[in-house]
Amino acid sequence: MGRTIEIDHFSVSRGTFELQDISLRVEAGEIFAVLGQTGAGKTVLLESITGLFPGSAGMVRIGGRPVMSIPARERGIGFVYQDYQLFPHMTVARNISYGPRTCHYSKAAARKRTEELLRAFGIEKIRDQYPDTLSGGERQRTAFARALALEPEVLLLDEPFSALDEITKEKLYRELESLHERLAVTILFVTHDRSEARRLADRVGVIREGRLVSVEANTEKAV
Amino acid sequence: MDMNSRNKNRGLFSIFSIVVALLVIFFIGSAIAAIIIKGLPCFAEAVTSEEIRFACGLSFTTATISTVIVTLLALPTAYALTRTNMPFKRLSGVLVELTLSLPYLLLGLSLLIIFSSDFGKALKAYGIKIVFSKAGIVMAQILVNLPYAVVLIRTAFEAVDPRMEFIAGTLGASESRAFLTILLPITESSLISAFILTWSRALGEFGATLMLVGITRMKTETLPGSIYLSISTGNNDTAMATATLMLLISGVTMAAANLLNQHAVNKRRGR
Repeated sequence: MGRTIEIDHFSVSRGTFELQDISLRVEAGEIFAVLGQTGAGKTVLLESITGLFPGSAGMVRIGGRPVMSIPARERGIGFVYQDYQLFPHMTVARNISYGPRTCHYSKAAARKRTEELLRAFGIEKIRDQYPDTLSGGERQRTAFARALALEPEVLLLDEPFSALDEITKEKLYRELESLHERLAVTILFVTHDRSEARRLADRVGVIREGRLVSVEANTEKAV
Repeated sequence: MDMNSRNKNRGLFSIFSIVVALLVIFFIGSAIAAIIIKGLPCFAEAVTSEEIRFACGLSFTTATISTVIVTLLALPTAYALTRTNMPFKRLSGVLVELTLSLPYLLLGLSLLIIFSSDFGKALKAYGIKIVFSKAGIVMAQILVNLPYAVVLIRTAFEAVDPRMEFIAGTLGASESRAFLTILLPITESSLISAFILTWSRALGEFGATLMLVGITRMKTETLPGSIYLSISTGNNDTAMATATLMLLISGVTMAAANLLNQHAVNKRRGR
């Protein structure tokens, strides 16, 4: 079961940009979309929750635990960027096993976890390929598998579907839903695509110029 | 503008580039040709002489020691300048690059002033002699090459998206582990090139060494120093033969750099 994400009057500055007084609660196991235009502060919000930027005010809690002074590696969050940021010098399998190897899983356990994820995402055939030889969909699946390798209870997605064509996108929407059903992980994703937010999210928050201006239940979500 | 005129413009620009490139190659090539034509006749005699062998050994040793030290210092410096919020980061970057435009003679003079001061005398009392010693050659090469290596490595680090290390962090990696498993392997080719280029520059360093250490035959005589001594005594042929040897070393070094780079790329590709 996923964990709650609580953001309480959180602010952060990045150069001239400021994320101001964000308060939000994402329930355990919920899919929450943050909708906003380019430059509204969506990615900064996700990166701040994960610990890339220390906030200037407020509090972030994951599963009730304050995480402001905890490094990213101890927050138990899986993260997928819009451009995936796969490690270019590692094969698909090595990308996925990076987390388990880093967290000192035994060799056998790391291999088992990698095999499970390769199978779950249907990417066994490309296991020995390098990222620069993959299609958009394959990259995305690899990035998802890598992010889930340590079995995080919270998954943050930064416009993960924006670089894909419509057919691949629809296929991956279904895969995300099925993944969510199986793992019940809490998913917070940001997007500039209103229809994508409506397609996937239980609730949708709108962010504008660094401020969260509204949060509404998504009544249009297909059940 | 129609397609034909655009293609014609592109063709003209290519021709212009090729003409300039040929002129540049001719200009550099003529200098190399002059060295080889003058140096080859007494090349065998020069390279077998005890003096050149000594200069060669001293240059190799000092260049290798200084390059290892420079690399060990430049790696964390470049990391701090690109990946941390160190205080006065921008100013530090400017300071590092500032010395690149200074004449090496002046850098040598600054070292001479530092090591001739009470500080230098105190070091000497503890047995660390820099001025007029072989350690001074290493010191001169370090000062000349450190900013250069920092700039090269910093450029390589800047080309890697720091979000990749952040992702490694979400997967349990500490900063040092992300550096060792992500940043270093991705920049491996650039780091090899930086190492080889730094070593080549150390081998050819002359101005700062001349100021700090002077050139004494068979004592502090490096290859460039040997060329200088030969020219000073009117022995231009030997000077050119030594220069030919340096060209040869430079060629071998570049070939080695290419091989190492290729090896690194192949290893990354699992070939």
